[in-house]
Amino acid sequence: MSRALVALALLAAALLPLALESEGYAIHVLTLALLFAALGQAWNIVGGLANQMSLGHAAFFGIGAYAATILQIRFGLSPWLGLVVALALGGLAAALISLPTMRLRGHYFALATLACGEVMRVIANTAAPLTGGPAGISVPFGAEGVWMMRFEGGRPIYWLMLGALVVVTVVFEVIRRGALGYRLRAVRENIAAAEAIGVDTARVKLQAAVISGALTAALGVLYAQFNFFFDPDTVFGVASISVRIALMAIIGGIGTAAGPILGALIVIPLEEFANAALSDRAAGLSQLVYGAVLIAMVLVEPRGLMALRFSWTFRPRRASA
Amino acid sequence: MSAPILSVSGLSKRFGGLQALHDISFDVARTEILGVIGPNGAGKTTLFNNLAGLHRPDAGTIMLDGVSLVGLKPHRIAGLGLTKTFQNVALFAESSVLDNVLIGGLLRHGVAEARAFALHCLEQVGLAGIAQKQAGELSFPERARVEVARALATQPKILLLDEVMAALNHAEMEALMALIRRLREGGLTVIVIEHHMKAMLALCDRIIAISFGRKLAEGSPAEIARHPEVVAAYLGRAHAV
Repeated sequence: MSRALVALALLAAALLPLALESEGYAIHVLTLALLFAALGQAWNIVGGLANQMSLGHAAFFGIGAYAATILQIRFGLSPWLGLVVALALGGLAAALISLPTMRLRGHYFALATLACGEVMRVIANTAAPLTGGPAGISVPFGAEGVWMMRFEGGRPIYWLMLGALVVVTVVFEVIRRGALGYRLRAVRENIAAAEAIGVDTARVKLQAAVISGALTAALGVLYAQFNFFFDPDTVFGVASISVRIALMAIIGGIGTAAGPILGALIVIPLEEFANAALSDRAAGLSQLVYGAVLIAMVLVEPRGLMALRFSWTFRPRRASA
Repeated sequence: MSAPILSVSGLSKRFGGLQALHDISFDVARTEILGVIGPNGAGKTTLFNNLAGLHRPDAGTIMLDGVSLVGLKPHRIAGLGLTKTFQNVALFAESSVLDNVLIGGLLRHGVAEARAFALHCLEQVGLAGIAQKQAGELSFPERARVEVARALATQPKILLLDEVMAALNHAEMEALMALIRRLREGGLTVIVIEHHMKAMLALCDRIIAISFGRKLAEGSPAEIARHPEVVAAYLGRAHAV
């Protein structure tokens, strides 16, 4: 994709909310899509570049959401400082999870990380004095202002999410094109060969996990500020967060910067509209339709929708960005 | 002889009931080309895997320029200057030829420098023309040469080549032997595993013959070619004069 095209898309994305109703449903869905695009991009560092299919990213997401919100409730800490705390805690949690799981591959890695997310969910449900337990936790209301991330209408938080997506995408691209990206690719393709030519595979995996976990936790803070209320089953959920994050990249195209963005822009609206259109018809019908569409997408192009686009544009299938 | 660059002593490795390596000892002199021969399953590749840290030996010592390699991870050993190629060729198949070699170069350089150095290494093995091809699409002989280039990109002091000449035609083999000799003149030490006896006799300064994990013989190519046990175990009757 050319620079001009990226700049144009970014400009359009920035101007779009001005054409939408400030408190409307469309802007809400788009903000959610931007959040999940950013989450998919953060996941892409581990899941795409190193091909380690984490299904535990809810652990970092929830840690960020809870840490910043609890600090805001107890000490009136600004969510901006909460972001910094979340980055640190997310990175730390990723390191702690990565050290014992990094030797695992494929399904085993996916299951081990999934368990980590579930452990966090159970802890958050149990530690009621701190987290509010199953009843959930609310971001305290206060005066409007940038310092407390309290905004009038839906536009500022949309722009905040767009900014977050840009930051995470830039981080992803810098990693992908840099030494770490090459080393992660070596880890993904042949770990013994990578070691034999001097790649410290354990360190490389740890670095990727820490960066991915830190970014995911920071996005958890933004989610809390966007949604105002959450509970352990939402932010630490397997289906609601962990699988959904991975899905953005898988549907869009793993290992590419455009993949999670494309995935989120399709999957999140699809999910929302399936819910809105079908949830009053029959119980579970919306999930059924949503699931069927996802299965169809994966069957049509297992490498993700990005690959589909390229195969339309260029005849030789190998040609890609 | 000055102090050996690599000194292996009493190296043993067992896999379950199989004694893959039994009390192997040898020294390698600086800028020597040492050959390792033996029948299939003799333990040649296992020896390389132990030297490069992919396996941990049960007993014995491996000293590279006075530093013990036993127990170090492969990437540390590569960092200390010992790099091996893989017998079955283990390229990053989905990456370009250039990127394969570039990753080797990252051991001692940043990305931009590593790319320039990778191109230089590809020129050395005569593959600069196909730098942008995907590694998985190459023929076996080409892949073997990419392996050599990728190992060279790590700038080793000692290079272990595991059957990189298998499947090469005569001209390609001559070219690779000429490259190995040039690299030696540039200060590199090389250990070579090959089945092609003629090439080994022409290329190596010294040859070690192993069989069933034990060192059978060690000596100049001429001595090895005449050694009765080697002839019996490896060369077969046809070569016995």
